[in-house]
Formats: sequence, C-alpha cells, structure tokens
Amino acid sequence: MEKKTKVLLVDDEIAITENLAPFLERAGFSVILASNGEEALEKVSSANPDLLVLDVLMPILDGREVLRQLRKEDEWIPIILLTQVGEASERAMALEEGADDYLNKPFDPHELVARIRAVLRRASLGQPPVSASWKLRSGELTLDRRSRRAYLNEQEINLTPKALALLEYLFTHPDELVSRDRLLDVVWGWDYPVGTRAVDTRIAELRRVLEYDLADPQFIETMAGQGYRFIGSVEVG
Amino acid sequence: MKWSRLIIPLPALAGLLISVWMNSGAVAAPILRINIDIGTVMLFLGIFVSILAWLAAYSFNWTKSIRVVAANDAAKDRRRFLQRLDHELKNPLTAILAGLANLSVGGSATNQNASLISVEAQVKRLRDLVADLRKMADLETREIERETVDLTLLIGGVVGLITESADLEGRKLLTSIPQAPWPLPKIQGDWDLLFLALHNLIENSIKFTAPEDTIEVRALEDNSDVVIEVADTGPGIPEDEVGEVWDELFRGKGARGIPGSGLGLALVKAIILRHGGFVNLRSRAGQGTVFSLRLPVPESLRSS
Repeated sequence: MEKKTKVLLVDDEIAITENLAPFLERAGFSVILASNGEEALEKVSSANPDLLVLDVLMPILDGREVLRQLRKEDEWIPIILLTQVGEASERAMALEEGADDYLNKPFDPHELVARIRAVLRRASLGQPPVSASWKLRSGELTLDRRSRRAYLNEQEINLTPKALALLEYLFTHPDELVSRDRLLDVVWGWDYPVGTRAVDTRIAELRRVLEYDLADPQFIETMAGQGYRFIGSVEVG
Repeated sequence: MKWSRLIIPLPALAGLLISVWMNSGAVAAPILRINIDIGTVMLFLGIFVSILAWLAAYSFNWTKSIRVVAANDAAKDRRRFLQRLDHELKNPLTAILAGLANLSVGGSATNQNASLISVEAQVKRLRDLVADLRKMADLETREIERETVDLTLLIGGVVGLITESADLEGRKLLTSIPQAPWPLPKIQGDWDLLFLALHNLIENSIKFTAPEDTIEVRALEDNSDVVIEVADTGPGIPEDEVGEVWDELFRGKGARGIPGSGLGLALVKAIILRHGGFVNLRSRAGQGTVFSLRLPVPESLRSS
C-alpha cells in the first residue's frame, strides 16, 4: 500500500482542527496536529511531515515566525499559510517569506485540499521552491519581487499594482491551473460582485504588455472556462 | 457664533481706516499730548493682559468642548455599531442553534436534510457579513490605485452587467451620460473599487423598488467634479432615517425582510471618500430617492 501523505496541521483553535483533521483524513491524508508554533517546529523535526498547514495568528510562536525559522534553517518542507485578516500586506508577506501558498480564513475545506494537492505536485516534481525566491526569470521576462518590478528584455515594464500581483502569483505557481476565483482572491482578497471579469481585464492588461503574439502566448495560457496557467519555464535568480 | 466673528474685528478695522485717512493728509490731524503717570499705564496694561488671558482661556475651553463633543459622537457611533452587529449576528446564530437541535433529535432523512441546508444558508450569511466587515476595514488601509478612469465606460460596464443579470425583473434601467458638447471628463482612481461602488448603489435601488419602478443612472460635470446619480421611483426613505442610510450595518424599517448585510451603502461611502469625493441623497416619501456620488476631477484631466 502506498504511504499516505503526512500533513501537520497547526492551529490554536481546537474547533477548527477537530473539524478539519477528519476532513483531511477522509481526503486521504494522514494528519498530525500542533496547537502553537513551538510545538509545530518540534513536530517538524520529530514526526517528519510532508507538508505544513500553518495558521498565522497563534500564541507562543506565530506562524510567520515558524515559517521564517524553517526557511532560515534551509528546511524547504511545503507550507500553506492560513492568513487571518485577508489584508493585502499579509498575503504579500506569505509569499515573500517563502510560503508555498496561502488561504484566507474563512475558507472552503475543499479549497484547502485542492491547495495541498497542487503544492505537493509541485514539490514532487523536484522543482526549486520558486515562491521563496526574490528574483524569477522566464525567458525574457524577469520579476524582482523585492522591488516589485518586472522587466522584459531588461526593459522595465509598466504594470498596475494589481496586474503585478497577478503576475507574481502565476509566476510563483508555474504550470499550475489557477482558477479565476482563486486569482480574484489573490489580488483583491475579497469576493467581488463583477467577479472573474475583473481578473480577465487584468490578464488582458498583462498580455498586452508581455506577449508578442496574443494568439500564441508564451507566458500566460487561458484554460477555457477554468482559469489561467503560467506556461513559461521558470528559473530562480 | 457667526455674528461675533464679524463684530469683534470691527473696532480694529475702524481704527485702521481712521489712521490711514488722517495720515494721508486729507485733514490736519490734531495731536493729543497726554501726561500720564506710570501707575495708570500699568493699570491699563494689566487690564489689557487680563482680557487677553481670558480670551485665550475661553478659546482653549471652546476647542476642548469641541473635542469632547467629537469623542462623544465617536463613542455613540461605536455603541450603535456594536448594537447593530450584535443584532445582525443573533438571527443567523439562533437559526443555526435551532437547526442543530433538529439534527440532534434525528427524524426523517428529508427533515435532516432540510435542517442541514438551512444551517448552511445561515453560515453563508455569517460568512458574507464577515467578508463585508473585512472589506470595510480593508478599505481604510488598502492602497488605492490611481489610474485614469473613464467614467462613461465604467457606468456602461456596470449598467451592462446588471442588465445581463436577472436582477432587474422588469424594472426600467435608464442611463443618461453627457456626450455633447464634450464627454464626461475622466477622473483618477481605482477602477475596480469605483465599479463596486456603483454596482452596489444600483443593486441597492433594485432591492428597494418594485418590478414596475424605474431606475435612472445619470452623470454630469459640475465645475471641477463629476456627479453620478442613481435615482429611483421607489418608496423613498423616511425623513428620520435619511441621515443614517450610509452608516455601517444600518437597516431601515423598509429593509426588513430584504436580504443584505447593511454594509452595501457604507462600502459605497467608504470608497467615494477614499477617492476624495462625497456622497449625498435626496428622498421624498412615496416618490423615490436620488443617491449622488461626487468625485473630483484632477486638474490635469479637466476639459478646458
């Protein structure tokens, strides 16, 4: 029998873990729990989980600090952050500090399972953890995440903050089909009545700037009725 | 208070005028020679300083009392907000408790299923409320994008979206946007947020009107502003509620039984304020309501 993927679920709210853990187990994962950051660090080394689902706001040691410490020790276990406030700053922080992905609370548990699977798929391909790198390159396109600037052929390109956030998310999740709802959540952090149209507008803006041939895109591919995918091969640095 | 501001500087002004008139040489100015002892000078100086001190103390107290009033207002707003929040949370929670109680008793599969559906609906209602509250908080700190926004396109987009949806249910939705002699000036702002604001405003009018009513969206240029109005032939807003309509979580008497978090218009107001604009409304009971959004046109985009 194939070994089950071991997920370490870290949240101080028992109401959440006691409902979420059985759900994840039914989805085919084996789940271990920790209720604060210190316990999480201890279990990462003792129980050897395959993936971490980490709440941000916790007593003793918060999720952000756990993430920072693990990455400082060169520990690249896949991590999904559960952000609390949904503020743009916290979402940006999650990706900048090397989380593989994040979800805004409250979230649909099905979405968490989908995120876990996508993150594991990427990790199993042995790809470098692009979400932890400050500088990304794909062909002629470079993204400097620290200064929030993008370059095409070494020429800086002008993008609105939202288009840039969209590009950053797609860029750090290469070859992953990202739904428009997910992108909406990434860029705005909250649901939005006009919904996915806003995403399409921004994608169109990105393409006008990035693509030579709109009929044969090199970077962002449309999956009709499903979402978008970054198809360029991504290098770090 | 206004008249005193006018009268107080009058003696000084009169003195100045007389001085200028006499020094201009129009009349031979008589010169007063007064012998005065230092004691009397000290007396008048003392009185003068006392008056200054009294004025200073008076104006200090006056600003302090303004601050006290503002703090009281804020405390009252906060109390009212908490009361409304409490109220908004109570109903769905009561329904959830009832639903769970039904589930724990057992009963037929159909009944259990109905309870589950109802609990889920109430949970979604709470989730939407939390999402809207987060939007409100986020709007205060979020970075507002400053792109050039063509309001003609934006209004067309919102109206198009609503016309395509099934929300109108027969209501007439008219638009009137100036084209001649020049089009509506563009403004600077966050397209998505402005879109959301206008969408919320029209949806609000739809909610409070009947299928045979008319809603009119119009825009006009007024000096250095653009004014967007959403007018409806609905029931109007009672006079005592007009001041509170834009408040967070406010639900008027007419809103009972109409779904919503009570944050739709508060979001509109927050978005327009973040753009340096104003919101307003005029309403007549039984005739309808006009909501208006006023947005400044930056100098660089004004049509000259």
